[in-house]
Amino acid sequence: MTLQELKPDMEGCARCSHCKWVPHLQIKSWRYAKVCPSVDRYHFHSYSGGGKMNMGNSYLDGRSELNDTVAQVIYRCQLCGACQVSCQCYRDDIDLADVLLAIRSTCVEQGFVLPEHLEMIESMKREDNTMYMLKADRGRWSDGLDLIDINREKADVLFHAGCRYSYDEDLRDIVRSAATLMKSSGVRLGIAGKDEACCGGRAYEIGYQGEMKNYAEDMASRVKASGAHTLVTPCSDCYYTFKYLYPKNGLDLGVKVLHTTEYTDQLIKQGRLRPQVEIPLKVTYHDPCHLGRRGEIYKGGWEGDNKLARPSRLKQTGKLGIFDAPRDILKSIPGIELTEMERIREFSWCCGAGGGVLEAEPEFAIWTAKERLEEAAATGASVLVTACPWCERVFKDAVKESGSLLKILDVMELLSQSLNGGSHAAG
Amino acid sequence: MLPAKVYKELEDALGGAEYVTQEPALLDSYAWQPALNITHEAWIPRPEAVVVPRTTEEVQAIVRICSRNGLKVKAFSMGWAAWGGPGGPGVVQIDLRRMNRIIEIDEKNMYAVVEPYVCGSQLQSELIKRGLNCHIIGAGPNCAQLASVTSGWGYGWTGLMTGFSGRNPLGVEWVLPDGEVLRLGAPGSTERWFTGDGPGPSLRGIMRGWGGAQSGLGVFTKVAIKVYPWPGEPEVKRGKGTLLDLQAQVPPTHKVFFLFSPSYEKFADVAYKIGNAEIGYVHCKGAVGATFGIFAPRASEKILSNPALRAMIKAAQHCTLFMLACHTERELAFQEKVLRQIMDETDGFLMDASHLPFHGMFAWGTHRSIFPAVAAFRPGGDFLTSMGSNETYDCQVYAAKLSESMKREYIDDGTFIEDMADCTWGGIYEGTSNWGHLEQIGIFNRRESHKAEGRYAFLDDTMKLTIAKSLGFGLSSLGAGYWKLYGPIMFNYHHWQSKIKQAFDPQNTADATFYIPPYDEVLKTEAEEKGKWDKMRSDAMTFRI
Amino acid sequence: MSTTKSIAWEKIVGASGVVTDKKILSGFSSDAGFTKGEQPRSLVRPRKPEEVQEIVRLAYQKGVALVPRSSTGPRFRGDSMPDVPESVIVDLSGMDEILRMDVRNKVAMIQPGVTFGVLQEACAKVGLRVPVPLLPRSTKSVMGSYLEREPHTIPKYHWDMSDPICCLEMVFGTGDLFRTGSAAGPGTLEQQWAAGQAQKTPMGPSQTDFMKIMQGSQGTMGIATWATIKLEVLPKAQKGFFVTAAHLEDLVDFTYSLQRAKLPDECLILNHVAFASIIAANVQERDKLVKALPEWILFYAVAGYDHFPLERIEYCTQDIAEIAKACHLQSVEQTAGISARKLLGLLSKPSEEPYWKIRHQGGCQDIFFLNTLDRAPSFVAAFKAECKQQTFPAGDCGVYIQPIQQGRNVHIEFDLMYNPQDALVVQRVKNLYQSASSSMSTLGGFFSRPYGLWSDLAYRKCPDTVQALNKVKNILDPGRIMNPGKLCFGKGA
Repeated sequence: MTLQELKPDMEGCARCSHCKWVPHLQIKSWRYAKVCPSVDRYHFHSYSGGGKMNMGNSYLDGRSELNDTVAQVIYRCQLCGACQVSCQCYRDDIDLADVLLAIRSTCVEQGFVLPEHLEMIESMKREDNTMYMLKADRGRWSDGLDLIDINREKADVLFHAGCRYSYDEDLRDIVRSAATLMKSSGVRLGIAGKDEACCGGRAYEIGYQGEMKNYAEDMASRVKASGAHTLVTPCSDCYYTFKYLYPKNGLDLGVKVLHTTEYTDQLIKQGRLRPQVEIPLKVTYHDPCHLGRRGEIYKGGWEGDNKLARPSRLKQTGKLGIFDAPRDILKSIPGIELTEMERIREFSWCCGAGGGVLEAEPEFAIWTAKERLEEAAATGASVLVTACPWCERVFKDAVKESGSLLKILDVMELLSQSLNGGSHAAG
Repeated sequence: MLPAKVYKELEDALGGAEYVTQEPALLDSYAWQPALNITHEAWIPRPEAVVVPRTTEEVQAIVRICSRNGLKVKAFSMGWAAWGGPGGPGVVQIDLRRMNRIIEIDEKNMYAVVEPYVCGSQLQSELIKRGLNCHIIGAGPNCAQLASVTSGWGYGWTGLMTGFSGRNPLGVEWVLPDGEVLRLGAPGSTERWFTGDGPGPSLRGIMRGWGGAQSGLGVFTKVAIKVYPWPGEPEVKRGKGTLLDLQAQVPPTHKVFFLFSPSYEKFADVAYKIGNAEIGYVHCKGAVGATFGIFAPRASEKILSNPALRAMIKAAQHCTLFMLACHTERELAFQEKVLRQIMDETDGFLMDASHLPFHGMFAWGTHRSIFPAVAAFRPGGDFLTSMGSNETYDCQVYAAKLSESMKREYIDDGTFIEDMADCTWGGIYEGTSNWGHLEQIGIFNRRESHKAEGRYAFLDDTMKLTIAKSLGFGLSSLGAGYWKLYGPIMFNYHHWQSKIKQAFDPQNTADATFYIPPYDEVLKTEAEEKGKWDKMRSDAMTFRI
Repeated sequence: MSTTKSIAWEKIVGASGVVTDKKILSGFSSDAGFTKGEQPRSLVRPRKPEEVQEIVRLAYQKGVALVPRSSTGPRFRGDSMPDVPESVIVDLSGMDEILRMDVRNKVAMIQPGVTFGVLQEACAKVGLRVPVPLLPRSTKSVMGSYLEREPHTIPKYHWDMSDPICCLEMVFGTGDLFRTGSAAGPGTLEQQWAAGQAQKTPMGPSQTDFMKIMQGSQGTMGIATWATIKLEVLPKAQKGFFVTAAHLEDLVDFTYSLQRAKLPDECLILNHVAFASIIAANVQERDKLVKALPEWILFYAVAGYDHFPLERIEYCTQDIAEIAKACHLQSVEQTAGISARKLLGLLSKPSEEPYWKIRHQGGCQDIFFLNTLDRAPSFVAAFKAECKQQTFPAGDCGVYIQPIQQGRNVHIEFDLMYNPQDALVVQRVKNLYQSASSSMSTLGGFFSRPYGLWSDLAYRKCPDTVQALNKVKNILDPGRIMNPGKLCFGKGA
């Protein structure tokens, strides 16, 4: 939707500031009551979800102009979606997250882009990834795993590793664990190897909305060619793109899409995977925004011009995001004690990496991650577990920078260890 | 744009460029204030700059810089509603969000010392762990505790137990419009905050009255707030859910009741008897309109257009939401027995909601005061409020009755969304005191700008009604500049108030749009606009519904 | 200061309303305390608010100092004694009507001369009561007490420092009449009553609250002509209890718990001297009782109201018993042969004559201030040390600790009872009064009602407050005619 089409949403802002807070019935302390990293870090109301809507409205009313300063404010935001959850506790007629996307699109149209984002787009255009890496190296993460190459053979399940897992060597064990344990359950698991390409979601988020279409079509043809009935990804950003952005933009992959945590949780519940090795750890789980609230399936559009008349079931409240599967996996592992942070599920605090922030504003990304590390440490857990490569990357960097004693692990790493002492991870 | 020299002074005072802005788009995020904005616009005057100080000393420096340079200042905490922003040009907005600490919770002596940007939820969550609770105004837990007690007004659900905002401050730290710091009560001469009155006359009397000065007389930087007992377990156990879908457990000694009375008169009797019996923790008028707004805003239009259903719903109109929160099972049993007796005596009946599936959410939502905002926002996205003075509950019920018939006309002509004309909000507070508050809320969709005239006409009517029927100085009386109307018929309070303004703000530095101008200006304005306001006053005094 | 000779007060209050007899007036230059004042030029007795207004207007015009007072009988604190010569006493004790009693809304509108005894009796007739300070002298004005923020003995009804005053009608130092709180309007009082109002809301009007400025002002801002007073339901049944302890510290947590649960009505702590002074008829009896009593006595009462009164008493008693047990204390119905019922009976009324503080030795100097209960033992210990140093007998020092603002603060009061005829003792008490006041202030005692020498102690700590108060004073009393010399306002009238 264009910014103009979203003007009624922006005009509906009551400036109540609920967008800055954890939904109020779930606030449990002074310390962890806030939910928007952007306004918490940069202070001015303009940085909040509501403030950005006010600025968008001002721009459309011709009261102010876009410029580099304003664009910087717009892009200092992880698009984590927490503001929308809190807003929609009260409001049925404002889709705040859509407004944030539309403002970015307007920035791009008007030529206000960040150099780091330009580089990323260049990398995507040239090498089909957001990581400034060579396309030819994309499938190397799976060397030796003996997975089906869908370019040569049909598979039942297509495994889409995503850009970060394909190239980030620090995280390689995680993606290999995930693929290995899925394969060990007997599923015919296929990958596209070097032909896998970016999902395009990141381009859409930083305002290059049109770019996503090509990637989506490319993705759809790969899925079709693979013969798979299910697409599984360990990347929450890709997951959000497949579940929300594609259908919202009329793009249909034609298969079931699952996150690895959903898929493996099903395998455990079906008895096809049995975690047995005890792992005596106290852990806490971080909900990746794009797997949690933003991972909620697209509920269908609303054609009416008055969202006050829109049925509530069409509101993207975030409630249908993936929250329980990763927790259920952790609970299935003997010895693991799962303790919760205060900000979880729909109102989780962001890791800091999303929305192009890690690339353009790394200091802000780390600041946001450190805030989460503190919250995790306050639970008494020794391990912060999550299920997204972007979260893992920024948490690991923040641990290094802050000297935190927390260990950062993926759900798949722990599951793999419990299945057979970690031999899956070794590949 | 501020002169470069002034801008630099502000940057230096705040220790960095990141704490000052005059970027037009950013400033406009401060100029969007549709809530309770009684002009036709949602935009208010854009501030010249916005500053985000961290300390009292920084606030002092900002005030002095502005004063020296002929600028005004206007401070806010959470910044919801038009009165938090500039009333005209030449104003520097002080956004206090970086002053966000709970400095002290004195458990034994039941007070908490907070900075401006501590919201109701934050303070309450820390208090409940210590067996305490705070007054959260109806506007919701997103509102600042400091602003409520020093600068605003408001009735909260738990007012029966937790009082009224204006009566809850103890020690106060206040940056006056000349940049000097004044500490009221104990913190003025000791290290502690336990009282705010004296030595001698209480300067709380110039800090605020029934309403606050809305930053028109300086900036409050710390306040000790009275907090109250939270009976039962020091935790609210919460499961999944965010707001209306929340799974929550409340302490076993808490119970929610809906009390239904056959008439407004009996409804008032219930309140008086509850006050006299010294029972209860929450007393609030249940409103059918609000209930639809909260739970079924889309369905209400259809349901309420069915005459039979409408009649049934109307029969439940005189409803009181009442909650017991007791320290022991014994106390609970006694209070419930008294309550049942009161309902018998007043020909009413009660519904015990404690076993209903939503009880946990409802009870906890009531304690945290989330419902009025949901009720106001879900049906139309915006609301206004009127009437609502604070006086005896009989007076408030009378006002509710009158305003109900008045609002009916404005619903019928499409100005407001249908709520059975029954959306008065409030209850009794301070235990046995018999004070009450019932404000009449109108819900609308601000995007329908063609209906704006109707809204102002309604506000105008309620203002006239309060004068014609002597319903007390209420929310309808707080509009900018309304002192011109009310002052001359209320012992010229505006003269005394404006003399205070002049004495404490000789440079007229604090933006007093929602307070009062200095005395000299008041006299000048009165002379210039005398005819207009005299006529309005005379119209009001002879106003008939 | 102009002379009052030329002012014909008679024209306002009639010849019988003016006293110029020097013999009579000489009695107004001193009181039972240590402060000495100036002899007034005359005394006027207005009967109506209009007369008060006329008096103030005229005084403002002529620059005459006015000293309002509403109580009669012995005085101790010097607040209504002229500090400047040629002052005129405005004696309001004759304005003693209860103007209105609203039973449903539990509020009385009273004039300044109404005393506790009179009001309590009128309340009882309609099933109500007014909370009373600890055994005030029988001539004490209700308005006079509560305009000075005198604490009363039922902390659960004391929500804010201004309680139980609701609204005021008053005349500022300019002669302008003003009404505060909801009484300000819109509408006349009759119109307000017709709308169901009862002048019950104290805040305002609008965004200032001049009642709070009047309170604690010792008559330096204007003269109040009526007040509405918040009343409470007269209990249908009551029961009193004592909890005693050898050390004050032992009562602290228990008292906090009682206030937190809002279980008791009356609740206060007395030491054995204060307790015995209240109960005993003479000094011998008092001294005997002091010996028999434990040093500290917490008194509390539980009550039942209109609904199931005995059951209310029953559950409160049981809940309190549990709290006491947890604090290793026990509630009893009598101590040293004195029943709690007896004390309860005394507490709702003014003191029996002679006034309990002077009954036994003839004189009393009290020292009181605000703090919090947890700090009370340290103040008591320091005060005892001061007594010892000044060789003042412990057996003559009463201590009264009154939780206020629902237990958030306590009024801590030391009553030094002495024989005013014994010059040596008088000097000793004077010395103690000065040194102990100073040490209490140093310890953090907050003299919120700074009478006499306390004004220096209190105000030198808060120059910003002094400056602010003077700005307000200049607005409400620009001629600085109202009780000049008091508080931080100098003697400049």
